[in-house]
Amino acid sequence: MSVDEIADDLAAAALTMARRFAAGATMWVLAPAWPAHGRHVAVEFVHPVIVGKRALPAVHVDDADLVGAVRLLARPGDLLLAVGGVDDRDLAGVLRRSEAWGVTTLWIGSGPRPAPGAAGHVLWSGPDAFVLLYHVLWELTHVVFEHPGLLADDPAACADDVCITCSDEGRVVEVAGAVDPATASVVVLAGGQRETVDTTLVGPVAPGDLVLVHAGTAISVIDEPAP
Amino acid sequence: MTADEPTGFLYPFIEAEEQDAGALLTDLAASARGKIAESGRLQAATLAACADQVDALATEMARRFANGGRLFTFGNGGSATDADMTAVLFRRPRAGAGRPLPAVSLVADQAVLTALANDVGVELVFSRQLIAHGRGGDMAMGFSTSGGSTNVLRAFAEGRARGLLTAGLAGYGGGAMASCGDLDHCLVVGSDSVHRIQEAQAALVHALWEQVQARLASGPDEGTG
Repeated sequence: MSVDEIADDLAAAALTMARRFAAGATMWVLAPAWPAHGRHVAVEFVHPVIVGKRALPAVHVDDADLVGAVRLLARPGDLLLAVGGVDDRDLAGVLRRSEAWGVTTLWIGSGPRPAPGAAGHVLWSGPDAFVLLYHVLWELTHVVFEHPGLLADDPAACADDVCITCSDEGRVVEVAGAVDPATASVVVLAGGQRETVDTTLVGPVAPGDLVLVHAGTAISVIDEPAP
Repeated sequence: MTADEPTGFLYPFIEAEEQDAGALLTDLAASARGKIAESGRLQAATLAACADQVDALATEMARRFANGGRLFTFGNGGSATDADMTAVLFRRPRAGAGRPLPAVSLVADQAVLTALANDVGVELVFSRQLIAHGRGGDMAMGFSTSGGSTNVLRAFAEGRARGLLTAGLAGYGGGAMASCGDLDHCLVVGSDSVHRIQEAQAALVHALWEQVQARLASGPDEGTG
């Protein structure tokens, strides 16, 4: 990872972060392997070191059940900053559900890079550079706030292949209730909203399962590693 | 949000109509490159400037660890997390990276911290814990980017009175720490950016930890800890 690449990644992540904060987001910070990093990020945003910079809502979450905690706490449009490697199963479980919950994700880590699309923004470096990465992210986010004309969400975002609103791609949703045996339908979380989908094609599903949905129909159940 | 600020109407033409994020992204990336470069430069300059002090401090810490001494770390805010990470680095080095050494963060327990802050005052939250835990032969390491955190300075005084080795990490010109008579070692990062100071302090801690490990591995007391 060159300095130029990480600088470009930080710039794009800061723009997204500032836009989400401007729209009222809270940032949930998860760092299961390094809780001190999680606390550092939270204090960085809530109590800025530079007098006059706005306090931004960031909360470090360290529950044993991270998936359950973030599902409960995060609202659609919120930010989720994950700190950790690709082998962190707790983080992976939360990140896989981010589309279903409608939250925007950023991932700071080291070691093998995550698969493309595993998070909205991937900031990858050596383990000793995590503090530098979130310091610079904070600094750049506040620079974006000096450009109010650019804080509205980017209209070009909908041209993206994975846009959940207007593309033909299937959407990842999370089962949020029991299947109605009479209609084979089930309530799911899709982009943070509750919807009803048909499960005829996929058979039995349980709350918490991740399902790929197209045009109101569940087309496959996403395999997850056993906990 | 910014559009709602009551002074916004005074400058309706400044930035508010800005629509092209491309130019901003270019500026942000350039800014990020500059900050990353400055962080690296400052870390290298700090390690060079503090080399003799790190050497002397590592020697004394290794001697104390070998004799059963324990390390207590403390600081406020981001420096509290630096204190946490320092304790974790000494206690749980990455597999195969060295010998685990007894280190405790004095900011780790919110019940203790809030009890002390509420009952006796925030300036005593660390010194009161050293009264409970500290023994001669132990070590007290405090972090303050300004060098002026009262509770950190009070802990150095308590540590000194109890025979602990006292070490402080500061930024700016060292602040009150630079002239603190209770400090055996004061490592100063020459910067006035809190972020860059913390990054350089992390590099200092890592160098210190490496040298402590090296001395324990080669010293006569190996295996006694």
